[in-house]
Amino acid sequence: MKIRGRARLLPADVNTDIHCSSKYLPGKDNAYVAQHAFEQVAPGFASRLKPGDIIVAGRNIGINSSREQTVHIMRMMGAAAIICPAFGRQFFRNAINNGLPAIECDISGIAEGEEVEIDFSAGSVVAAACGVIRHVPPLPREIQAILAADGLIAFLQNHPNWELA
Amino acid sequence: MRSNVQRGKNRKFGGRVGSTIAEKILGAHSGGGTVTAGQVVVARVDFAMVHDARAANALKVIGRVGAKSLPFVTKTALVLDHYSPPPNAEAANTHSAMRAFAGEHGAVLYDVGDGICHQVLPEGGHLTCGDLVVGTDTHSTTYGAFNAFGTGVEGTDVSAVMMTGKLWFRVPESIRVELRGGLQPGVWAKDVTLHMLGRLGAEGANYRVIEYCGSAVKAMDIDDRMTLSNHAAELGAKAAILEADEKTFAWLKAHGARAPVPTAADADARYVERIELDAARLPPQVARRHQIDDVAGVAEVKGQKIDVALIGTCTNGRLDDIRQAAAILKGRRIAKGVRMIVTPASRRVYLDAAREGLIEALTMAGASVAAAGCGTCVSLTGHLITGDGEVVISSANRNFKGRLGNPDSEIWIGSAATVASSALTGYITDPRTVQGGEWRPKS
Repeated sequence: MKIRGRARLLPADVNTDIHCSSKYLPGKDNAYVAQHAFEQVAPGFASRLKPGDIIVAGRNIGINSSREQTVHIMRMMGAAAIICPAFGRQFFRNAINNGLPAIECDISGIAEGEEVEIDFSAGSVVAAACGVIRHVPPLPREIQAILAADGLIAFLQNHPNWELA
Repeated sequence: MRSNVQRGKNRKFGGRVGSTIAEKILGAHSGGGTVTAGQVVVARVDFAMVHDARAANALKVIGRVGAKSLPFVTKTALVLDHYSPPPNAEAANTHSAMRAFAGEHGAVLYDVGDGICHQVLPEGGHLTCGDLVVGTDTHSTTYGAFNAFGTGVEGTDVSAVMMTGKLWFRVPESIRVELRGGLQPGVWAKDVTLHMLGRLGAEGANYRVIEYCGSAVKAMDIDDRMTLSNHAAELGAKAAILEADEKTFAWLKAHGARAPVPTAADADARYVERIELDAARLPPQVARRHQIDDVAGVAEVKGQKIDVALIGTCTNGRLDDIRQAAAILKGRRIAKGVRMIVTPASRRVYLDAAREGLIEALTMAGASVAAAGCGTCVSLTGHLITGDGEVVISSANRNFKGRLGNPDSEIWIGSAATVASSALTGYITDPRTVQGGEWRPKS
């Protein structure tokens, strides 16, 4: 599987509960949060991110008690994948469980708006215009199977005993 | 460190390497084979928990799946603790939905006032040594005090557990922390964790499991051990697991838990880091305003005035915490102008404290006691909003700006003994300098 899209950058240590959830915006729905997502840490992010783009985040995206809603919103905005050198633990689970490919990878050198290609079978992240070629370990087959089914619940509805191909 | 390199080489040539507690528990729950850090496993979960701050999301996921396919729902507890009692109709409606769901499907229910999830799960006998337990809360690490792998997850995860009894996990690396010697009177597990936060930084153990061991851990009562495992969440730990001993077995038996499967690390287990602490040299610690890893000795912040003193939460709202406070405040009055609120971690803790006369002693001293629940931790219940410029000393676990509903106030974090000593004087105070501050449980 390959994903190709433009890089949309976020800084390090972003608390997604604060910057992309309605935890502090009671009553506001996902569409509202999506319009304002990450505005304080990356002004203009919501309008820059187009369907098919790849979020390139600094380390610790989604630290602390990251809400699942954040990944729902990222998918609603059209993010095709997210790359980060070290994910907050719960954010990583949420991404996989909701069908958003999450790749642990050094992001240095990847510039805003440049094209990035992730090749899951070759285990590579390439941003040719930036001269970035990184090798990443292939995703474990359990995670690949969940992503292929578009999320954990959909996977379990077809594989109630977690059987892998 | 050299031995780790050696082990790596051995492994390359086919030699066996020992396992950490985390590797053993995850291995035993995923087919019984040896698993190593970095691997992804599908593991059988012994018990799951959903609390009211995350239930709406979980019930939405479950609603989409359909009700008939939840064979493991009876091994799931729904806990109404974050909004206990509910401050608005939205929270009350979530509670109604949780009660209805538990009634319809047979999930275990803990209602308003029963207590905080991390207290009622062990008290209810729902977990034992060697278990794998998940909860929709970062402080689900608490179960490590009972030699269980406890970790925080989200709504989709617990839904998967209710459907299949299993969940995927990335096997984590571990850090071994040995507390040598014994803690001084007036120094508690809280102070150990604050010291670790100052040393490693918040998230300093992200993704990792902390194994706490050593004579100072063995000397701790279960209440303090629960603080040690619980508060590791602030270090970013995925779990914080202690080895089991006679105290663990006795406590679990008294609370009706299943037969324990005690799980210890191998002597040649591989750790990413080993830390040794001389427990006797550790003075009481405090986290300064807004940042949990901005840590100092309590003596260093002498003279810092306070307005509010809070004892409670899943970190430090247990019987030994309330005993510490009562040992300091019995027969005395808190400082003029200071408000002190105590929220016991559970209904049982509340009852035990009442039977021991601690509630009376604290009330006579000028403290107010509120319903068991998460009330003193975060301003969700709305009964604890701070005023502009006010300074809070709290036994809670987090002190983000605005956590008590007002970004113009500040929260400092310390042990229950430090909070009570500070309530007594009106200034952040080292418990070793006040009468009763040296109290320790009889073991």
